[in-house]
Amino acid sequence: MNSIKVKNLQKTFQTKRKAAGLGGSVRSLFKPEYSSVEAVNNLSFEMEAGELLGFIGPNGAGKSTTIKMLTGILHPSGGEASVLGFTPWVDRQKLAFQIGTVFGQRPQLWYHLPAIDTFTLFGKIYELDDRETKKRIDFLAEAFEMKDLLEVPVRKLSLGQRMRCEVAASLLHRPKLILLDEPSIGLDVVAKQNIRDAIRRMNQEEGVGVLLTSHDAGDLEALCKRVIIVNHGQIVYEDKVSNLKRKFLTTKLVEVRYAEGVAKDFSIDGVEILKVGHYGVKLKFDAAKTSVESVLAHISAAGDIVDITISDPPLEEVIAKIYEQAKEYE
Amino acid sequence: MNNIKFLLAIWKANLQSAMEYRISFLSQMIGMMANNFIYFAIWIIFFDRFKDVRGWGVNDMYVTFGILASAFGLVSLFFGNAFMLSDIISKGRLDYYLSMPKPVLLHTISSRMIASGMGDFAYGFVSYALSGYFTWDGLARYVLAMLLAATVFAAFLILTQSLAFWFGTMSNFSNLVLNAMLTFGIYPITLFDNYAKIILFTIIPAALMGSVPAEFIRAFTWQSLSQLLIGAIGFLGLATIVFRAGLRRYESGSAIQIEV
Repeated sequence: MNSIKVKNLQKTFQTKRKAAGLGGSVRSLFKPEYSSVEAVNNLSFEMEAGELLGFIGPNGAGKSTTIKMLTGILHPSGGEASVLGFTPWVDRQKLAFQIGTVFGQRPQLWYHLPAIDTFTLFGKIYELDDRETKKRIDFLAEAFEMKDLLEVPVRKLSLGQRMRCEVAASLLHRPKLILLDEPSIGLDVVAKQNIRDAIRRMNQEEGVGVLLTSHDAGDLEALCKRVIIVNHGQIVYEDKVSNLKRKFLTTKLVEVRYAEGVAKDFSIDGVEILKVGHYGVKLKFDAAKTSVESVLAHISAAGDIVDITISDPPLEEVIAKIYEQAKEYE
Repeated sequence: MNNIKFLLAIWKANLQSAMEYRISFLSQMIGMMANNFIYFAIWIIFFDRFKDVRGWGVNDMYVTFGILASAFGLVSLFFGNAFMLSDIISKGRLDYYLSMPKPVLLHTISSRMIASGMGDFAYGFVSYALSGYFTWDGLARYVLAMLLAATVFAAFLILTQSLAFWFGTMSNFSNLVLNAMLTFGIYPITLFDNYAKIILFTIIPAALMGSVPAEFIRAFTWQSLSQLLIGAIGFLGLATIVFRAGLRRYESGSAIQIEV
């Protein structure tokens, strides 16, 4: 069953244009000029119930605009969308009872109050009874490891702690789907990991579907099963994360340590030698062109191996490559 | 019923938030009361010199100024974001309210308490008590008139500030018309000719916030009550329609926000 179904969704913004300087400002005052910006251009995709879907793209790709249309915040310029059976911009209030949203750049917790007061207020907003709200807060406090944070004014929490509370707040009313717009923005490695763990747990335990937009390929790698990559308001890639890796992560990085010294002129056909040390080498090759087996055979023939590491390049590089390909295609 | 529970919860949160800074809360409240007393002293001096302006004396001014202050204070206390709606719209900060399952206009305007409003609200009652018109019946009419005048005032704020959906930031314009509303609201209605009166009941409905409620408080008339009721319902309906129409044009924004 689909939780999201989007067909030919479009959003065009009118943007005022003005020449530089005072002259431009005066001209713009009497004769303003506008141009159209297509933030989302004929976007179509589907998302299964309970799925973990990554929606990624560079700045200005149309990620946030799409999320805002799917939550009913923005009206589209064209196209259709159905979220949990509702048309978001028509049934905004009904839909809001069923979904949770987190905008990384726009906090929903009351800044001067402890998080627990916002949680209690959200209980009223989502029409939960007081006992149910309390029970749910206790559960989320444990799941998000935030028991000690609940009574501290939000302004005194670190960004990571605050984001944990933000995501937890969006889950208070047991939504079937949460839409997370850049939830890891500005967070350090540990805070990101904490948020990812908690989201994964809620997906596994409560079957909450997650649509996640992010700049961070790490979020995608850690959380999502499927990915949609957008650029200039259009989908440039859509597949399982595992397929994305298989198709694009053909370059392998190999680091080997030998028991004895390595020959200075160490080389293998079709392999780029990045570094030759006294006891080790670092090399890179394209597995689509040079067989892994032959490379390993050469490595093994060169001496007694003490340690070997074979790794893929970071996902960021892959995504950058996909953007580049999309640009060339244009 | 659920919306009433929601409103009570949000007002409670507003109060808790304002009371986080105790000294600021108290000083704003007391400061505003003192400010109103000082401002009204000018009218006392004025009426000491002229006694009467086309049938209006200083006692009438006490009631008019009182009801205007109470209505202003009530809106500041319970619907504080009505004063900031233009900014909220133009900076794309309606996103938060639109992502919640409550009526967006009600949720937005009720999400802020301006603590100084408590000073205005209380000052109005003191001013009425000092007017010489005080009766218990009058007090009941004062409360009703205050609610209706506050409705007109909140609706007027929503109307003018919703223009931000079409024209971008309108905070300066909104401040201008807000000042016009408050200034004309405390002038004796008898000063104005018929054309000016039409303006004061329609474009800038200051009469519905000052002189008409004051007349109603002094003595019950069906005419002043119906004027207030029609004004409150009409302006609120119009404000809601304009806000809803504007909402379709809402463009959100990408500004990073660090607090709600």
